[in-house]
Amino acid sequence: MGTEYRVMGLFTDENRAVSAIEAIKDSPWSLRRVHSPVPSHKISDALDLKKSKIGYFTLAGGITGFFAGFLLAVFTASQWHLIVSGKPIIALVPFFIVGFEFTILFAIFGNVVGLIHQMQLPEFTGLEEYDPRCSGEHFGILAACKADELERLKAFFQNRGGEINIFSKKQEHQ
Amino acid sequence: MPSNDKNTVVLQKKPWVLICLSLVIIGLGAFIVGLMGRHPERAWQAYLINFLLWSSIAQGGLLFSVVMHTVKARWSGPLSNLAESFTAFFPISFGLFLILYLGRNDLFPWLHQDLHGKEVWLNIPFLFARDSVGLLILYSLGFLYLYHAFWLKLDRSISSGRIRTFLYKQWDQHIPDAQTCSRRMTVFGILYILAFALILSLIGFDLVMSMDPHWYSTLFGAYTFVKAFYVGLGGLIILASALHLLPEIDFRLKPSNFHDIGKLFFAFCLVWADFFYVQLVVIWYGNIPEETAYVIERTMTPPWNSLAWFIFIICFILPFFILLNKKIKTKPQFMSILCTVVIMGIWLEHLLLIGPALNPHGSALPLGLMDGLIFLGFSGLMALAVTAFLNLFPELLRVTDGEVT
Repeated sequence: MGTEYRVMGLFTDENRAVSAIEAIKDSPWSLRRVHSPVPSHKISDALDLKKSKIGYFTLAGGITGFFAGFLLAVFTASQWHLIVSGKPIIALVPFFIVGFEFTILFAIFGNVVGLIHQMQLPEFTGLEEYDPRCSGEHFGILAACKADELERLKAFFQNRGGEINIFSKKQEHQ
Repeated sequence: MPSNDKNTVVLQKKPWVLICLSLVIIGLGAFIVGLMGRHPERAWQAYLINFLLWSSIAQGGLLFSVVMHTVKARWSGPLSNLAESFTAFFPISFGLFLILYLGRNDLFPWLHQDLHGKEVWLNIPFLFARDSVGLLILYSLGFLYLYHAFWLKLDRSISSGRIRTFLYKQWDQHIPDAQTCSRRMTVFGILYILAFALILSLIGFDLVMSMDPHWYSTLFGAYTFVKAFYVGLGGLIILASALHLLPEIDFRLKPSNFHDIGKLFFAFCLVWADFFYVQLVVIWYGNIPEETAYVIERTMTPPWNSLAWFIFIICFILPFFILLNKKIKTKPQFMSILCTVVIMGIWLEHLLLIGPALNPHGSALPLGLMDGLIFLGFSGLMALAVTAFLNLFPELLRVTDGEVT
């Protein structure tokens, strides 16, 4: 009993994919991964995903950026001490613009860094157990089961109108 | 529809109407006492501020529905319906504007000043003529939009009341099909949007900026209508939250609805602050005494400087940092408190713009119990208008499942 099979059900209909996800959650099989060709709120709701942490990277970037921009303006102005039309050397009102622009720039940097970090990129090996149809028009649901459950899992997907793709994963025999 | 009959019954409940009525009476009483007292100009000042604030809530509220229709938004159905109920305040607002005429001697400091040629524009007959025509155009366009919107929304099996009978008769004669109706809605909607920008700019120039007749900022008009949309969205969130939270009323919104309108409110919080800053930075750079005097008086000299910072904090800094959070935007209890704070802040902001001109030698803020009571009176008036409107058209409280086009 060392072999764990992984079966991917491929659906062309979003609602069927969602109902299959719901059903697998209440079954003895385990849900491993879901591929969607388009961003789908229904699927992300059904999956009950944990909240993404990327927002915090963006926020941290934005706050850093605000101070970085402000301090950059202060620093460059204080290098020269050139008084222009009676304005103070370190003038808060216009430096706010530099701060604002840097907020946006650094927030985007933070966002990209967060994206790379959270998605564990770069990833050179490629996904195992992937069906290229998921990049086309199919929703792919990858579920895992024991060998004796394989037929039931196949039937489960087929009864719901999905095509299937079976990957077997060898584990060490005991 | 039994559920909506239930809503009507609840809205007609005596205590609520009595509370609103007593607020109106309290406000009216405070206003009259103020007029009789030693400082009638203080009563008129509170009246003007409330007129500006509550009118812009109504105008900005309807703007939400208009904009959503014009851009073909599909998420906003039930909220658009609610936004339309603010039109009930339009006739009241127009009446309130006409009453301002009685206070002209207390309200317009430029009446007794040498205007150096500006008297061509700043004189009482022309001001009242152009502003009342402007408001009339704005409100007519709003009602024309509403007239067509209702063709698509009203349930014609309900046939009580004179207004409904009149509407049905008019529709039968003038509106052939849904497509034409929706097209005309778009036309009147776009006209309303244009009128909103132009007329509110005019009101801002005439009733707020002219208080200091030698000061001018070309952006002041845009600042006024952006502010109106900001408070309009705030008013809409308060109304939606109140109806959502009342167990007796069958009106439930999804958290995603609150999230979306919260995002829009957040966005306009930024736009408002941006328009303020854009004016400030130009005046700061130019550094011309006739422009800076206005800003210096309001942001650097007591008693106004602390008020200015207070307004900036409660209308921008506070909402900005709070609304970064997604979860808070989906909580109607919290959002309605935040929007109330912002609306109060904008009330104070009007005081900051108008107050120094009307109280030139004051060492303390011209703020007292009377101002609060008059504010309550106007809020009662708004609540009564909206309640009466929702009673008349209970279909507006129907939340259809899914997306409404």
